[in-house]
Amino acid sequence: MSAPRVSCLLVAALAVLCFGLAAELDTWFQAWAGNRAQSADMLNVLLGDGRRMFANHFYVKADAYFHSGFYPTVFDNREAFQTAHMAEDSGTVGGRNQGEETGFLGKPRDWIDAFSRQFFPSEHTHLDQGGAQGQANGAGDLGEGSEVREILPWLRLSADLDPNRVETYTVTAYWLRERMGKVAEAEKFLRDGLRENPGSYEILYELGRVYSENKNDPARARNLWEAALRQWQRQEAAQAEPDKYLFNQIAAHLAMLEQKEGNYRQALVYLEMWKTRSPSPESVQKFIEEVRQKLDRGTPDIPRPADKKPTEAP
Amino acid sequence: MNTLAENVSMIKPSPLLARKAIVKIENLCVEYRRRELCGATKPVVNNLNLSVQEGEVYGFLGPNGAGKTTTMNVLLGFTNATSGEAWLFGENVREPIARQRIGYLPELTYYYKFLSAEELLRFYACIFRIPKAERERRIDDVLKLVELEHARKRQIKTYSKGMQQRVGLAQALVNNPELLILDEPTSGLDPVGRMKVREVIQRLKNEGKTVFFSSHELGEVETVCDRVAILHQGELKLDGRLSELAESNRCSLEQLFLRVVGYEHHPDTPPLPCV
Amino acid sequence: MNNLFAVAGVVIKELYRRKDFYVLFVLTILICVVMGSVRIFNDAKIARYLKEICLLLVWISSLVIAITTTARQIPAERENRTLFPLLAKPLSRTELLVGKFLGCWFACGLALLCFYLFFALLAGSREQHWSFINYFQAAVLHWVMLGVVVALTLLGSLVFTAPSSNTTICFLAVAGILILGRHLNKVALHLPEPRRSILYAVYYCIPHLELFDVRDLIIHNWPPIPWRVCILATVYALAYATAFLIAASLVFRRKAIN
Repeated sequence: MSAPRVSCLLVAALAVLCFGLAAELDTWFQAWAGNRAQSADMLNVLLGDGRRMFANHFYVKADAYFHSGFYPTVFDNREAFQTAHMAEDSGTVGGRNQGEETGFLGKPRDWIDAFSRQFFPSEHTHLDQGGAQGQANGAGDLGEGSEVREILPWLRLSADLDPNRVETYTVTAYWLRERMGKVAEAEKFLRDGLRENPGSYEILYELGRVYSENKNDPARARNLWEAALRQWQRQEAAQAEPDKYLFNQIAAHLAMLEQKEGNYRQALVYLEMWKTRSPSPESVQKFIEEVRQKLDRGTPDIPRPADKKPTEAP
Repeated sequence: MNTLAENVSMIKPSPLLARKAIVKIENLCVEYRRRELCGATKPVVNNLNLSVQEGEVYGFLGPNGAGKTTTMNVLLGFTNATSGEAWLFGENVREPIARQRIGYLPELTYYYKFLSAEELLRFYACIFRIPKAERERRIDDVLKLVELEHARKRQIKTYSKGMQQRVGLAQALVNNPELLILDEPTSGLDPVGRMKVREVIQRLKNEGKTVFFSSHELGEVETVCDRVAILHQGELKLDGRLSELAESNRCSLEQLFLRVVGYEHHPDTPPLPCV
Repeated sequence: MNNLFAVAGVVIKELYRRKDFYVLFVLTILICVVMGSVRIFNDAKIARYLKEICLLLVWISSLVIAITTTARQIPAERENRTLFPLLAKPLSRTELLVGKFLGCWFACGLALLCFYLFFALLAGSREQHWSFINYFQAAVLHWVMLGVVVALTLLGSLVFTAPSSNTTICFLAVAGILILGRHLNKVALHLPEPRRSILYAVYYCIPHLELFDVRDLIIHNWPPIPWRVCILATVYALAYATAFLIAASLVFRRKAIN
């Protein structure tokens, strides 16, 4: 048999073997739990679970942008940056920061360190207070606040990479509606987040704030906050360390809402709930006394001015 | 019959005695370090002494590995001598100024492929500090001489091998050198190319320029050279005027070469004269 | 000086006749245009992420051009045997080296000019204002840093045999300095002796290229750096470049080239 014929037969035999193996392995591959190819998300296919690591990186990058580049690296003291300041300022998460925000750089250790501080941002500033230019011009609070838009791309990317990171949705929505005036985009983004994280009390709470603070729709806000409360009870109540911050926020907002609507009895219920987990129950007790007085007098309450930030437990 | 004094007075001084030495090598030794012998050195050129007079065409011969290229490398500053000295125009070869008046044509001619012939010559002319007006004139003359005018603006990467050889010759002549050092100038050339190189050498000789070249083409050497030196195993075996060597040894250059390198000893050839 | 500029001119010609720069430039433009066309929450004024992406691409491209162009200068001359007819001219090895340095450095400068012009256009189209002084400072500091990189790569091309190994080592060294250079002293504090002293020695010896990376200042619209600081940084970079060139010259003089 001539050499070319032998080569052709070999190639044909190999091709048949390959097709057979492919057919045999395909059924197993389709059933494999780790099969990323079934996902419609390109990032999921490319990166797999590693995308969550990138998501966290871009979330932190957004906070770095919030500080106009003044941010600790992995080699610096990050005590004052454990919770992203953009999240803390938005009131969507409880803060765990300790120490001085401006202190992570410390005193220059040598002449190179001292000289190098001229070449990177070395002053603390927030974008919602004017950022770097606000700092330079001596602007105080609420400078060019719309510069906060600059953090949005990274938050968007973080959400795309890790749709199960709830904090990304709530923080983004806050800045979208509060400083950018983009209420519709904020709501849509939150609903996208809710689709990815059904039953997330954080997103429900933030959606309620959209309806309460921006759309002036107390009924829907109430529904959403009540749903958030129910979800919190279901998910967190039995935990060893439940998320008290969000519980207090939800209870406080519901209490305020009911008080504004004149439903003092319901307001008292929520205030009592707030008091059980508040870090300063005495302050909540004062609110309870006020509402009881109104209830006893039978007079309608003067609505409180809407706060820009949700009131924390005093 | 003339007296001895009258005979002496009738002897015209040799032209060579009146000319200065353009190339001078004294006690040159070059050794390379051998890796496989744990740092032991291998002598490549051993105690070489020679000089090339102004206006000569000097053939530098020897079998492969004799040390010809190494000697040229020392003259051109590519290699440092282990001991001994060499001078070009009275300047030590270690100084760049020694190369101001020379032209060099390497055996393998490769030039910047992204440049055109004109740009390459202009670049080399700048290094020679030729004034701008004269630079352009020299470039035109040299391109005409090597018949590359039609391709002067094309990049060298589009040239044939013969054209690249001619570019090499052009860059060796762009500064109108007084000494031309050629390393196997006709290697790889067709007969027409070889003839052109011979014509250039002859022309330079007629202009009183000095040519120092190595070659394996003994026929060519016999045609153009005034003096030859034969190197073997790093040592100078023979050095003299071609006519005198032929007359004293009564054999062709090729036979002389073979005898010097120890290739054959024919009983009819007379013994070598002492050097 | 004539010789230096003649050699430098050939290097610059080589850069714009090769395709490397054009490929990188077009790639940068394409990526920036694609990223810029993305609408994020229907806001057309978001600019900083685009500036960051553009500057990152500019930095990567400039380092690629600087290191790859420089790494192949001397080895390619030797391999292509163009070194011999060149050194047969009245040109010393030191002049050749300095000429190559100037050529690579100016070539990088020209490339940077194109990149930063594009960056200024891109940033201005989004932010509706131009910070000319900031951009100028950033470009000059970047260019000066590339001078150090070019000198380092030239030295590497004489020390390492293969251009590929020189390129890899230089890339790693430069990337390492840019990312970690500022923090070595902090890491050293937590180490026991003798590692602490070694790391401190490294910290003081390396050229701190991260000083010239002022991207954060440009992206976040910080005020310009004081001019005296810029001048000091330039002098610092030129000192390192000179030191590397002197070392390269000493190595080159002793090297057999045939």
